[in-house]
Amino acid sequence: MPESAFLEMQNILKEFPGVVANDHVDLQVERGEIHGLLGENGAGKSTLMKILYGLYSQDEGDIYLDGRRLELDSPQDAIDAGIGMVHQHFQLIPRLSVAQNVVLGEREPATLFRSDGESRLPEAVRSNGVVQALARRFSLGLDVPTQRIDDLADQYGFDIDATAKIWELDVGQQQRVEILKALYRDADLLILDEPTAVLTPAEAERLFDSLERLTEEGLAIIFITHKLNEVQSVVDRVTILREGKNVGTATVSEVTQADLAEMMVGREVLFNVEKDGVELGEPVLQLQNIHADNDRGIESLSGIDLTVRAGEVVGIAGVSGNGQKELAEVAAGLRRLTDGSITVGGTDLTGAKPKRFVNNDVSFVPEDRLRYGCAEDLSVMHNAAMKEFTDERFGSQMGLDYRELAAYAEELVEEFDVRGVRDVTETNAGDLSGGNLQKLILARELARDPDLLVANQPTRGVDVGAIEFIRETLLEQRTDGTGIVLLSEDLDEITDLSDRILVIYEGEFVYETTPEAADRDRIGLEMTGGASTDAATAESPQPIATGQDGEP
Amino acid sequence: MNVEIDLTARERVPRWLSYATPVLTVLAALAVSAVVLLVIDVNPIEAYRLMLIETPTSEIGMADTLITTVPLVLAGLAVYLPLKAGLFNIGAEGQLVIGALAGSWVGLNVSLPGVALVPLMLLTAGIAGGALAAIPAWLRAKYDVNEIITSLLLSFVALQILSYMVRGPMRGSSGNFPQTDRFSAAATIPELFMRVHLGLAIALLIVVFTYLLMTRTRLGFEITFIGSNDEAAEQAGMSRYKVYLLVFILGGAFAGIGGISEISGVQGRLRAGFEPGYGFTAIPIALLGRNSAIKVLLASLFFALLFTGGTNMEIFLGIPAALVEVIQALIILFLITGEFFKRYRIDFTVERDPTPTPSETAGGDA
Repeated sequence: MPESAFLEMQNILKEFPGVVANDHVDLQVERGEIHGLLGENGAGKSTLMKILYGLYSQDEGDIYLDGRRLELDSPQDAIDAGIGMVHQHFQLIPRLSVAQNVVLGEREPATLFRSDGESRLPEAVRSNGVVQALARRFSLGLDVPTQRIDDLADQYGFDIDATAKIWELDVGQQQRVEILKALYRDADLLILDEPTAVLTPAEAERLFDSLERLTEEGLAIIFITHKLNEVQSVVDRVTILREGKNVGTATVSEVTQADLAEMMVGREVLFNVEKDGVELGEPVLQLQNIHADNDRGIESLSGIDLTVRAGEVVGIAGVSGNGQKELAEVAAGLRRLTDGSITVGGTDLTGAKPKRFVNNDVSFVPEDRLRYGCAEDLSVMHNAAMKEFTDERFGSQMGLDYRELAAYAEELVEEFDVRGVRDVTETNAGDLSGGNLQKLILARELARDPDLLVANQPTRGVDVGAIEFIRETLLEQRTDGTGIVLLSEDLDEITDLSDRILVIYEGEFVYETTPEAADRDRIGLEMTGGASTDAATAESPQPIATGQDGEP
Repeated sequence: MNVEIDLTARERVPRWLSYATPVLTVLAALAVSAVVLLVIDVNPIEAYRLMLIETPTSEIGMADTLITTVPLVLAGLAVYLPLKAGLFNIGAEGQLVIGALAGSWVGLNVSLPGVALVPLMLLTAGIAGGALAAIPAWLRAKYDVNEIITSLLLSFVALQILSYMVRGPMRGSSGNFPQTDRFSAAATIPELFMRVHLGLAIALLIVVFTYLLMTRTRLGFEITFIGSNDEAAEQAGMSRYKVYLLVFILGGAFAGIGGISEISGVQGRLRAGFEPGYGFTAIPIALLGRNSAIKVLLASLFFALLFTGGTNMEIFLGIPAALVEVIQALIILFLITGEFFKRYRIDFTVERDPTPTPSETAGGDA
């Protein structure tokens, strides 16, 4: 047993104006373990890791790696010390090959100027100090040891061709390239910032396998997340941060999810929300034989029929990229149909502009919050009033009463507990954390008391406390008689909230069930198209006797 | 030696900095320009006193500055409004010229009393400017054609049309100059005070109108939202098509009115090359004043001062016109760079390696 841990962060203090992001935090990580870093959005996880990676410098406290004290002024120092980081947003250049991306950060001079190896330049010129300095700064060698990278990939079981271009790879593979970059620079400690946020469940499983192999080789891994089930399935020990403080470190096998959630949020969290019985009303949405293309012009909805009644939550489960985004946009009036018809609350809105959907009391919570859900450079007030500003109470005809708008925004912020808003007219939507921004969007969409709500991934990237709040709010809205289309990749969310579950696969509904009758394995199988080799299943949305015969 | 330059966006601009930046940048620009003046043997202090103190305080200088402000602020708003909707109208020059041309045609060919003729000229100029501006807006809204290129190229079309008209169909009877006849008294915008014409009042009204549009109306809300995130705005039911056309047409109309007031209120006849590119100066004006229509007005006043002060330097100190333009351009460049430094912090770190002896260098690389 070594006396001190492989990585020791001691008493780290980091203050930003008005906020203590890390309040004397300790963190110990051993070699060969996957160490979870758990916390709500804004709990200080990212700050702590940015300090470790040299992006921020701490106000107080020390960092020791393998017994050595580290002075980290830049990521370069961290890399030199053997620390690698995989950011949530990949830092890859799509047009370059895997190998080129891997060596890019090494900043080797072009071959012509290298002091070792073949070159046409005379030795005297190449070894000249000035030439070397210039070459290192202004030339870049991308001719790379492909073989070495292939070997490295094989060693850890990554199926990546070093000569492939990044844009040819899927998201999971790109992430492995990021990991490869760190390994190529001999990282002993790997930081993964919410690595599964961009992955499908299957890809996440693969990532977990890869990570376990890495720890067998003696690497230490810090895994930042706010998903409890991930902590349970992959992490060995976990440190929980709350409001910048270290709440405790636990061995995962010794605690339950509920314990972790309580440590993280500071109170007991209900995972199973209570659902009241609601009498179904008139249909609020009727989709008939919907066909639509995706952004690239490829058909991604091929004959969708769907009826949603007032007071009903229809959950749509599926692996991402099977038409959910397109379906949500069709129901919100944003995507053109190539065939079929759409009726909202008895009004035929086939081919109508988004404005008519808004006016017919359709609300939409888009999957991509920053792109479709808000204008991040505008104030909370602007964003809160994005749809309601046309309402009469904000002024008659052309005029708009900004004081009323601000008051309205304050009301929403208050009612939906949106945190981090100093002044609704000054704080920008982009300054809010993911969970709070989502609450703001939800507030905006629900305050209109819609007849139909289309919610696409409403809790993605949102912390546990906010998830609970959002789910409860959705159910309250259901009790008030709103019909809800809920698209989610989180199967638990679907089964907890829905009255009816539909599985979408390649632009069609392939399976229908209810939460009571739901068989998770069957849903999982249908989501991945596992049962569609059976022709009858694909044709009819009726549940067929469960069996494993569909699997090849 | 190792020099590191670190560029970081400021999270919050300190209050003192947002006030100090324009002052400091103008001072810096003047310091650099002083070198130019010293080279040609002009006392920079005297030159600056003339340009920045004497011009705005003397009666003639102030009148000239206000007169120049009229086309500048109107063209500035023509760039500002589309900018708020996230579009770049680089064609204010063309819209200004086509407005001057259409208004002049009415002024020369329609006979009405002044109370009716001047408004008709302004209206025609506005329609012509708006119509020219509608083309890039429509192409952008409908086919996603880049409005920067189309609006810029249409400016050259307008300039060539002007050049043809004053040499051909609209050429005046007096000699061979490329210019029209003088306007009749009825076609002249009346004077307010000290040669300053009614166009100034119209321009101020338009500034107030634009200010109210952006801060007090639903349309302003839509323009702001579409300018910030057009996809979210469309999701909320706003129409990109409507807003794009509206901001360009309004802007083009403003620039057109600016063009005709310069002709009818100041010059009295239309000539080829009647203005020194006010429509292009409008771009830095709108960029500097992009936060509000009132700031566009302030920026226009400043640029008008540069124009008239520059002319005075030329006349009284014999500084060549080209050098005056150099000084103006330096001030503009410094101002725009200053905006950048306000938003970003730059850290220089210089690390000096121990100077290696030649033998060490050779050995180290082996």
